[in-house]
Amino acid sequence: MKELSCEDVLMAQMAAADGEEPAFSKEQLAAHLTGCANCENELKLLLALDRVLVSHTVAEQHVDLWPGIENKIAKPVLGWRPFALIGLLLIIYKLLEMLPARDLGLAFKLVPLVIVTLLFVFIKENPFRINTELVMER
Amino acid sequence: MDDADAIKRCQQGDREVFRHLVERYQKRAVAHAFAILFNRDDAEDAVQEAFIDAFKAIATFDTSRAFYSWFYVLLRNRCYKMTAGRRPTESLDETLLVSSQQGMADDTRLAIEKALHSLTREEREIVCLKYFSGLSYDDLATHLQIPRGTVMSRLFNARQRLKTKLAGVLIREQEV
Repeated sequence: MKELSCEDVLMAQMAAADGEEPAFSKEQLAAHLTGCANCENELKLLLALDRVLVSHTVAEQHVDLWPGIENKIAKPVLGWRPFALIGLLLIIYKLLEMLPARDLGLAFKLVPLVIVTLLFVFIKENPFRINTELVMER
Repeated sequence: MDDADAIKRCQQGDREVFRHLVERYQKRAVAHAFAILFNRDDAEDAVQEAFIDAFKAIATFDTSRAFYSWFYVLLRNRCYKMTAGRRPTESLDETLLVSSQQGMADDTRLAIEKALHSLTREEREIVCLKYFSGLSYDDLATHLQIPRGTVMSRLFNARQRLKTKLAGVLIREQEV
């Protein structure tokens, strides 16, 4: 039979104290403990540690993480198509603008501004908002 | 609604149902993250990011498994990422524990917190999961993705270090 080390015995005894199946039989453990004063003393301390730890619980605090999580998972991922469309519209505008001897008036000059405004409406961003979510590097 | 139903609905694209999972597990998750990080704000950030990771990966989740043990792996990764390259904090500014026994001295609680703080994050994590979440060895093995034998030896080493750090408290405890 394999000679049990003090570590084996203490580990197995603590497993038994934790309600787990110990790796060695009760007889084997008892035989070692009766002949090893050091283990007996160590076991008493470990069991005292167990009692001290069991008599404490984690302090509970109010937590509500959902609003932050919801914000991040609710943001739909924008595909490339809306941006490609806006790019195309701006190119068409530029080409029209380059046509010679055409004065399409003030309304025509405002078209790019309207396009960009629509873009911000579409992506639900306020270009004038100050970003308060910036985190300083620790 | 149980976890499996909630997850199935999330997998079908129902974002709102994810809220049930967050509300069910956030408190436990913050306590676990706090045990690793020892900082309440960091713990909440890590849990929030881990829930977002979980939401993104929910399509791959096998509903026959327990949600929390799957989520815990994501949470650990987040916590370990946060601690990587960072110096361990010198002091303990926040309360981790409360005594459930009347008459237990406050200095005992403080001594335990300091002793836990002195452990490695892996040791502290296993002690907190064992004592404050009441996980069995098999559950610990699943959560930490280590064999049962490693659970036993890691717990043993952590206990040995705690025993040394808390020698004074334990002698008092034995005298009671």
